[in-house]
Amino acid sequence: MTTITNSLPALKEYGREMGYDLGWLEASPSWGQRVEPGRGGLVLDDVEGAAPEAPDESRNLTGRPRGTLARSAVPRVGNYSVRTKADIWLRNAAELYEEAQQRQWSSATDIPWERVTALPDEIERAECQLATFLTEVEFVAGDVPGRWISSVTPDYFEPRMFLISQVMDEARHLDVFRKRALVNGGGLMQRTAAAAAVTGGAIDSARDFSEMSARLHMSGEGSVLTLFRIGELMAYNDAEKQIYRLAAQDESRHVAFGVMHLQYLAQAAPDRREEIQTYLDEAERNLVTGASGQNPASTGAPSSEALAVLLGHGVDNYDEGMRLLLAARQRQVREYFQRVKVAGFGERFENGRANKMLEQYVNAA
Amino acid sequence: MANQNVRAAGSSEPPALDWMSRTLQWGTRVRPDKGGVTLGALNVGIYGDIPDEWDDMTRMPRGAFPLRGVPAIGGYTQRRKADLWADNAAELYEEAISRGWVPARDVPWDQAMPLAEDVELAMAQVCTELSQEASIETEVLSGWLQELSFGYHEIKLFLATEVFDAGRHFELFRKRALINGAGLRLESPGQVNRMLLESRAGWTETSILLHLLRGCFTQTVYRYCAAYAPTDADAFIFRGALQDKARHLAYGMQHLRYAIAHRPDFDEQVQRFMTGAELSVTRDDADPVLWEALAIVFGRGIRHMDTGMNVVSRMRQDYVRTYLDRMKWAGIDRHARLLPAFASVLGLATSAA
Repeated sequence: MTTITNSLPALKEYGREMGYDLGWLEASPSWGQRVEPGRGGLVLDDVEGAAPEAPDESRNLTGRPRGTLARSAVPRVGNYSVRTKADIWLRNAAELYEEAQQRQWSSATDIPWERVTALPDEIERAECQLATFLTEVEFVAGDVPGRWISSVTPDYFEPRMFLISQVMDEARHLDVFRKRALVNGGGLMQRTAAAAAVTGGAIDSARDFSEMSARLHMSGEGSVLTLFRIGELMAYNDAEKQIYRLAAQDESRHVAFGVMHLQYLAQAAPDRREEIQTYLDEAERNLVTGASGQNPASTGAPSSEALAVLLGHGVDNYDEGMRLLLAARQRQVREYFQRVKVAGFGERFENGRANKMLEQYVNAA
Repeated sequence: MANQNVRAAGSSEPPALDWMSRTLQWGTRVRPDKGGVTLGALNVGIYGDIPDEWDDMTRMPRGAFPLRGVPAIGGYTQRRKADLWADNAAELYEEAISRGWVPARDVPWDQAMPLAEDVELAMAQVCTELSQEASIETEVLSGWLQELSFGYHEIKLFLATEVFDAGRHFELFRKRALINGAGLRLESPGQVNRMLLESRAGWTETSILLHLLRGCFTQTVYRYCAAYAPTDADAFIFRGALQDKARHLAYGMQHLRYAIAHRPDFDEQVQRFMTGAELSVTRDDADPVLWEALAIVFGRGIRHMDTGMNVVSRMRQDYVRTYLDRMKWAGIDRHARLLPAFASVLGLATSAA
């Protein structure tokens, strides 16, 4: 038997003498640098110091994880349309992903369903109409981010991972609102009638990631988030309160992703600022008119009437419910203003570009 | 009455409230049982009528009151029940949620102490390839989500959990490769990855390749890595990933069985395309990198690589047996038509070309 030392070259030589290839077994420049888990365990940001940073442009077309050593004979399988960092990046995607992991919940067991008790028929119908709307639209934010996951180079895996967590969150939202419609003597009600996908301008039809994100995260999900946040006002039991609370927690992450992405884009690609402003023009029109089909509070929609019934505690108090709904719409707009300002596009509210109808909402008594 | 400007911007008309009577079935009352309110429990009355075809190409929930004239959104091409269905999907969806785990917090990372340099580098190589496999899985699955019809939401929801699981595995193996300074190593050879991404015939075909052919392999690797794990952290990592992977395979097997039972001639189609699929596997198999890395991990070092390689051989046999058994359970007997290079792993002779 050959006497060998434990040095890597010696071990490798020994292995080769035994007939193995071992050409892949090379010493690592970071050998000896152990990463210690922090208080929150071992999060992605902890280990990324040991791997290369995301490049400004990616030429990775083989699907290899960032930092992996490339081979020359691997087929180019990645038809990645998003290979420029500014087109997808944000500073805290890994953190948002880890938070999503930590805050998963179960619609089966974390909602106190036994607290749902019989409601007056008109209230139950309004609950079911709103739940039908939400179970229909929530997975828009599952299907569409899903499509983008496979379009983004794995060199930008942090935003991809966040989008993966969003797909999971939206599955749970579809599920929890379907459950709400079917647990209390009601049923599913009328579906929505949005038609924007045919003529473009819809979340589904966006052909640029930032455009999609402006429509989905800044506008669509932002408007739903406001309503989840006032869930206490339209909930009739602890189960509904818990649904809105937990869904708002998820939705906050999704909206934060959109805000932080636009913020990064504004700084990293200032030549795209005007283009982004046009998406915001569109987002504002959708918010006011409900054309996107994403805002349950938009005028004339069955879900909007259902909200007024819920907020007013019945059809007899519809005007009071409508007054509260208008206040909710104002809050939607105020929160939208805030998001746009944080993203770095607030000048539209100073230079007269913002949709005048938004001003009407905000300035209303 | 509210401010007139706002009222004008909102609604100046009395409420129509015509939606109030628009339901196909009222009076549904699903109550929680021991497991809470589960997705499968909602399938009562018309809400449990799962049609063989679902023509609607929008996101209309199954059982909702339809409206005339709502245009298609695009996508949703997989509209036949036989294209995607599995009876166990709703249950697997709830199981995935109830068994969710968090790599950052749940893995005992403090027990992933550095191994001897050759073993640590080999473990990093294994984890690099597994991380890449998981990454490709997220791309494959997420690319199909919008093709799957809303009439079968149970499937979409289950596959959302699978995307999330695969994301977790990507993260998990990346962290394991990086924690002790070995770093990410060589990318995988890529033939099976290419096959999975290029498979566009239909979801069922992709599912067979992803869940049965690749999935059985990944599951077998996880199982052996759990059994031969060099640290407690590694044992935890591979056991956790194994539990997730078992769900993915359970869907894939059940769906294939359903498709075989409901699609005339599909069994022969599967037999034909699996020959090409197995060929892709054998092309990746010709690359020694993963086998050598696993042999070093299993043998705990280059010095005992022969012992480790014996384990690798057993693992590869187990993989082929598992794959054949599960295909047979689903209705596809590959024993007689197995690709010769595949059969040789088991020491079998076949007549297939």
